[in-house]
Amino acid sequence: MSYGKKDEDADSGLVKIDRTQVFQEARLFNSSPIQPRRCRVLLTKIALLLYTGEKFPTTEATTLFFGISKLFQNKDVGLRQMVHLVIKELASSAEDIIMVTSTIMKDTGGSTDSIYRPNAIRALCRIIDATTVQSIERVMKTAIVDKNPSVSSSALVSSYHLLPIARDVVKRWQSETQEAAASTKSSGGFSLGFSSSSGNLPVNNSTMTQYHAIGLLYQMRMHDRMALVKMVQQFGAAGAMKNPAAIVMLVRLAAQLAEEDPQLRKPMMQLLDGWLRHKSEMVNFEAAKAICDMRDVTDDEVTQAVHVLQLFLSSPRAVTKFAALRILHTIASFKPHVVNVCNPDIELLISNSNRSIATFAITTLLKTGNEASVDRLMKQISGFMSEITDEFKITIVEAIRTLCLKFPSKQAGMLQFLSGILRDEGGYEFKRAVVESMFDLIKFVPDSKEEALAHLCEFIEDCEFTKLAVRILHLLGVEGPKTSQPTKYIRYIYNRVVLENAIVRAAAVTALAKFGVGQKDPEVKRSVDVLLTRCLDDVDDEVRDRAALNLRLMHEEDELAARFVKNDNMFALPFFEHQLVMYVTSDDKSAFETPFDISKIPVVTREQADAEDRTKKLTATIPSLKPPKVGPTKTAPSSADAAASASAAAQKYAQELMQIPEMNEFGSVLKSSPPVELTEAETEYVVSVVKHIFKEHIVLQYEIKNTLPATILENVSVMATPSDEEELEEVFIIQAETLQTDVPGKVYVAFRKVNGGSSLPVCTFSNVLKFTSKEIDPTTNEPEEGGYEDEYEVSDFDLSGSDYVIPTFASNFAHVWEQVGAQPQAEEAEETLQLSGMKSIPEATEQLAKTLSLQPLEGTDVPVNQTTHTLKLLGKTVNGGRVVANVRMAYSSKTGVTTKITVRSEEEGVAALVVASVA
Amino acid sequence: MAGLFRRVYDWLLRTFWATEMDVTMIGLQNAGKTSLLRVLSGGEFAIDSIPTVGFNMKRVQRGHVTLKCWDLGGQPRFRPMWERYCRNVNAIVFIVDIADLNQLPMAREELHLLMSQPTLEGIPLLVLGNKSDLPNKLTVDELIDAMDLKNIAHREVSCYGISAKEETNLEAVLQWLMKFANR
Repeated sequence: MSYGKKDEDADSGLVKIDRTQVFQEARLFNSSPIQPRRCRVLLTKIALLLYTGEKFPTTEATTLFFGISKLFQNKDVGLRQMVHLVIKELASSAEDIIMVTSTIMKDTGGSTDSIYRPNAIRALCRIIDATTVQSIERVMKTAIVDKNPSVSSSALVSSYHLLPIARDVVKRWQSETQEAAASTKSSGGFSLGFSSSSGNLPVNNSTMTQYHAIGLLYQMRMHDRMALVKMVQQFGAAGAMKNPAAIVMLVRLAAQLAEEDPQLRKPMMQLLDGWLRHKSEMVNFEAAKAICDMRDVTDDEVTQAVHVLQLFLSSPRAVTKFAALRILHTIASFKPHVVNVCNPDIELLISNSNRSIATFAITTLLKTGNEASVDRLMKQISGFMSEITDEFKITIVEAIRTLCLKFPSKQAGMLQFLSGILRDEGGYEFKRAVVESMFDLIKFVPDSKEEALAHLCEFIEDCEFTKLAVRILHLLGVEGPKTSQPTKYIRYIYNRVVLENAIVRAAAVTALAKFGVGQKDPEVKRSVDVLLTRCLDDVDDEVRDRAALNLRLMHEEDELAARFVKNDNMFALPFFEHQLVMYVTSDDKSAFETPFDISKIPVVTREQADAEDRTKKLTATIPSLKPPKVGPTKTAPSSADAAASASAAAQKYAQELMQIPEMNEFGSVLKSSPPVELTEAETEYVVSVVKHIFKEHIVLQYEIKNTLPATILENVSVMATPSDEEELEEVFIIQAETLQTDVPGKVYVAFRKVNGGSSLPVCTFSNVLKFTSKEIDPTTNEPEEGGYEDEYEVSDFDLSGSDYVIPTFASNFAHVWEQVGAQPQAEEAEETLQLSGMKSIPEATEQLAKTLSLQPLEGTDVPVNQTTHTLKLLGKTVNGGRVVANVRMAYSSKTGVTTKITVRSEEEGVAALVVASVA
Repeated sequence: MAGLFRRVYDWLLRTFWATEMDVTMIGLQNAGKTSLLRVLSGGEFAIDSIPTVGFNMKRVQRGHVTLKCWDLGGQPRFRPMWERYCRNVNAIVFIVDIADLNQLPMAREELHLLMSQPTLEGIPLLVLGNKSDLPNKLTVDELIDAMDLKNIAHREVSCYGISAKEETNLEAVLQWLMKFANR
């Protein structure tokens, strides 16, 4: 029985219904005269089948459909309603559904309050196709403004679905939709109130129509910003809208407008502010969320929202408390000081019986609390750690991890806490989160290293997760030899060799070997030698092999061995993986004639990988999940997204460039800049550029989008003229052959560095687009012959020092600063700047790190003080020389941010270049 | 008093001896199917009706008999669906515009194609020459020749000239249809 499988989760009280049996019964529809009651039961069965996921094959669906069409215009209103319902569902699978158009149309019209009218409208819009939409135009227009909310809503929602099919026709219904949105009717159904017969529409006092109308209006005006602004202002006025859902929609729309156009930010903020005091909670929350999601939102603006949310914290309803707390939690991620005022209220919630609320309360407090409160909170959490699920435990661990990275001074207490919970019961995911937090501590907070390692050693003594044991052993191997007492760890590791399964044993052997190779202390070296020799008798092949290899390496010269065992460089793994997959899955047989060439894979140093890793982890707490926006919006990627996607983007560029044969000889890309917009977003041609730096070449990748409808651009090229032609020489241009409307295309312009690979040319490029423009003949859809040549000038952009710099991580800034200063070629440059455009220290910090393309060190990317701050930055040039920057900032509301930037570099001339990229 | 009695009698007839019959009305576009149906069911003649998309269904009440009339769209895209709606009906009405001579061969072809369907065997056919109020129209005999009705076998075939606009001959049409009500 085909239904058997789906039956599992169905209610056992449900009648068993079989598709084939129902299909047989469907002959009933053809009997004359019609028996309404029996037909309704049968239709209900069909509807049940369709709703539970059963699919009728096309022929069966068509037969059913024609059978059902015999039931039209029956006097029984219940049957009529059912017919529309089933037709709507069958419409997608049956053929020739267009047949019922005229008949259904009859049921949609009229001023009657028949119960089937909304159903008829919905069914009608499902069966109509693009060519016949016009014929239902009048019906829909009258239905939209119908005085009955049910009819009006169904017409609005149906129009929404018709929009993609017949945009032009539906757009003509704007004024009706507007009317529907503005009307504050509440059904004229009072006179029907006591007519209990099923034939009439029930009284419907819902104002949901407004929500539907606003939704439709937005879809119609999506591309017309001015119209959207007008709409938000008109309907956003107090009292214009009764329905909270409709206002929520407006809130989102206002937020989106403010995001897209800085000019609109102020009026929209005012509206949002007003909505914070709306009488519906739903609206309050949405407005608060929109405000805190706003880009570079100021403290004042957030304070308002926080104040409103604070009131909700003492609400008796759990869901209200939860919603308020969740938004506060988000705000706390980037503006902890603003949420501070709510701390007393939030503290009351940490012992809330609802664990979701308690968890959010604690994680929020962890973000807002000062040093003293952190310890207290830790105690509080330890109290109920055992009572919450692993999922919440992980949330808490993640919060603590970020906290550790932010306040390295608090590491001792947190480490204590982490090691405490590591001993608790818990699943793999939870344990993994804890262990990873400890890994991060070891990596980024040097002070905690020894103690954290000790805790981890203790953990692997009794660890049920092989995967975690292996990772910890590897870390011990890497970090252990650098500590003051390496012998301590050797004992722990060797215990694993004796007690564990083969996988862990193999990992332990490798870790052990790292203590032996390059060991200066002969005593330690001898012990490791003895231990490894014992491993040669192991029962497992892998363990024996590793032991043998490492023994051999230990007796080699230190330098050679170190290259094998302690290599800090590694391959860019995502890229490596992709290349391997491409190689293995290649369809072309000739690909296998040459072995896979590993030398083509770019190598990154551990420092670079760490830098990327740290940025990702720090920003990860800022939720990357934006609330669902209305329609397809282009949300500016938040900093977290940007960090996460930066490496992915670089890999993508590298792959694209590899596809171009002309560029193969250039070698691999050393650095790709983020895209620079060269035009406004609304111009005819939207152009952005990405600068790729190669060893001896520079490639400019222009992304061009033609937004003119019904035109096609051919042979598109860009005349890029560097201001300094002596240093850069154009090699070739790769044109974009054709650019259709709204399909982006790429043009590459390659330059050669005249003064060789180590020079770092800096200049300004002026850019002119050249192309042949052709109009598309609307009748044939073919582009016209000939066309005309045209030019289009876009903004200039700079190739600056920061384009040659890659962010790099190191744990000790002072050390690097002195090291670089001591180099023979070292150079120092200084610049004092007045950044009047910046409104706060955090903003300046973020912008500077981005413009200089350097990695903030020692947690200086999170300013503690709002008036002065020192930002410590490190990076490497594409040639490998280090660049360090020390930026001191002071903020006053009058002059904005004043900065003094001091840059040191290992190579000549670089420091000045880097400074110049800010000036 | 007699009127009241008459109404009660009608009501009794309808309630206890009510019969329903299905009639399908087909023909090329602009032959006047929808207009005819409107007039039959007691409506006013409308000069400008929009082309039928799919089909219309109307009930015509005559004494104790209810005629369910299926008025199918005449545009080429709907013609393949005619056969499906003609199955198991009590009578098929084929309407021809007798003032539009150019369309006659097409109408004849469609009619014969439909009549050759095995599923429709034995169903009575009524061919109506509509728009007899216009000049330059065919007579009934000419229509019979033009439609080659003599070659349609194994069923009862009749042919009338009517005008939906001036309501001529409509009573005869209804009478003819009623003959098949009790089968």
